[in-house]
Amino acid sequence: MILLIQTLILGIALGGVYALMGSGLSLIFGVMRIVNLAHPSLIMIGAYVAYWPFRLSNIEPMFMLPVAAIILACIGAILYRFVFEREARSAKYSEMTVLLTFALAMVVEGMLGTAFTNTQRITSPNYATEAFFLADIFIPKGQLYASIISIIIISALALFLKYSRLGYAIRATTENREAAELLGVNVNRVGLISFAIGLALAGAAGALVSFIFSFFPSKHWEWIVILMSLVVLGGMGSILGTVIGAFLLSAVAALVGTYFGATWSTLTFFIALFVVLLVRPQGLFGEKPELA
Amino acid sequence: MSKLLEATGVVAGYGDGPAILNGADLSVHPRKVHCIIGPNGAGKSTLLKAIVGMLKVRKGDVRYKGESLKGLRPDKILRKGICFVPQERALFPKMTVRENLRMGGYSITNDSYLNNRIGEIEEQFPILKERHSQHAGTLSGGQQQILSMARTMILKPEIVMLDEPSLGLAPKIVREVFGVMQMMAKEGITIILVEQNALMGLKYSDWGVVLDLGRSLFDGPAQEILEDPRIQELYLGGMKDKP
Ligand SMILES: Nc1ncnc2c1ncn2[C@@H]1O[C@H](COP(=O)(O)OP(=O)(O)OP(=O)(O)O)[C@@H](O)[C@H]1O
Ligand SMILES: [Mg+2]
Repeated sequence: MILLIQTLILGIALGGVYALMGSGLSLIFGVMRIVNLAHPSLIMIGAYVAYWPFRLSNIEPMFMLPVAAIILACIGAILYRFVFEREARSAKYSEMTVLLTFALAMVVEGMLGTAFTNTQRITSPNYATEAFFLADIFIPKGQLYASIISIIIISALALFLKYSRLGYAIRATTENREAAELLGVNVNRVGLISFAIGLALAGAAGALVSFIFSFFPSKHWEWIVILMSLVVLGGMGSILGTVIGAFLLSAVAALVGTYFGATWSTLTFFIALFVVLLVRPQGLFGEKPELA
Repeated sequence: MSKLLEATGVVAGYGDGPAILNGADLSVHPRKVHCIIGPNGAGKSTLLKAIVGMLKVRKGDVRYKGESLKGLRPDKILRKGICFVPQERALFPKMTVRENLRMGGYSITNDSYLNNRIGEIEEQFPILKERHSQHAGTLSGGQQQILSMARTMILKPEIVMLDEPSLGLAPKIVREVFGVMQMMAKEGITIILVEQNALMGLKYSDWGVVLDLGRSLFDGPAQEILEDPRIQELYLGGMKDKP
């Protein structure tokens, strides 16, 4: 029983971070219909942005979170303007963006590998190795803090989408791009801003990930499976779905890991991805799949 | 009579594809209801899309209050007071009814004015007030059409273009939708209507335009079109006396 509760707590403590990692992917897909396969590699950039200041002068990785977010947002704006905006006019848009983001992931991986080698890194602030104890159960502080911050960021995003004028424009563009344009939304600008916000979320996630998982440039291939599965489960484009998908899958993966062994834990995400695509391709909260 | 909007010799098509409009003309008179009729695929929807800037006008011109709309983006044309309700209704199904109205006023940046307008429209259309927190996608077809039309009124537009507002609706609901259109016209909004049911459309209109093969074949008072024997035969199915 203790083991079960302990496992669930560890799973849930990771859920928030997964949710933040996936939310940018989901937002970008929703607005732009871009399946950003490079998303985890961009999270990786965020992790390095947090890593080096910590390594060189012991700067708190959480302080680097906004910096990573801003850097990635700028990268996002540039990528959108010079790569994706042009593609938006192509008839083979969806196919092209999949290839483009795949290539982008390779490029980012290559550049990070050249700059920082494939050595495993992790930031290790004190809390990353400490835990709270409740009777016989422990909650790792690093994961707890990271999840709490993730949920705060996602809530802020949700409030922004729900109540701000730009949030209305983003939601409307997600649902019906042409109609939004007819009502006066500059959908191209909304695309740029959403792309930048999506990557800012990646940057923020990277800073948090830096003290939770050890990372190296090619590790993003592992993350993409995790992110795709939880985003697909939640329904591509739905932020709420992504959050629910993240907590569900990370709890299940933790359970599988405890009772069947760690190798099976990663497989949970693969299997979930397959099953969802076969049984309910629109996920829990998504549109019918014809859109993609 | 002076024209509010005038399209002359418009050539337009989709992307790099062939021209769908081959010199279409349209004269729009202030505060009148205009009905564009023509067979399926004639280019009626295409003409409306070209006017609002969703499609590029390759040749010809669209002039509104003396200035050309050519090359302007849809959001710019909207801000000049021309609203378009496309054939497929274009609501945001997962946003609430009120959020849809708010999107109708997206180009209004003064929040308290916008809230007032939403309040006024909800007074005018009690069903929208009643359903304000419901997702637009859960409304009936008729209610969705009324929401699409009411949504344009937030802006107090000069011109509203309605592309087949009766599509897929039961006759009773169609009359309700046309009632809303008349209400808009009474408020001084100039209407451009595209209607499959040409007889019915023309009966609710002051002016008629017959469009076929991307060209305007006839343009005149709706009554004249209704009475023209050639047009009756070709486009009204010879059903002169059907309601
Ligand atoms: N998105 C599009 N891409 C390419 N061709 C299109 C597109 N939409 C319409 N067309 C073509 O343009 C032509 C005119 O279509 P349009 O929709 O303007 O006709 P319409 O008069 O509105 O007909 P309907 O009564 O069926 O609505 C048709 O031949 C159609 O195949
Ligand atoms: Mg049409």
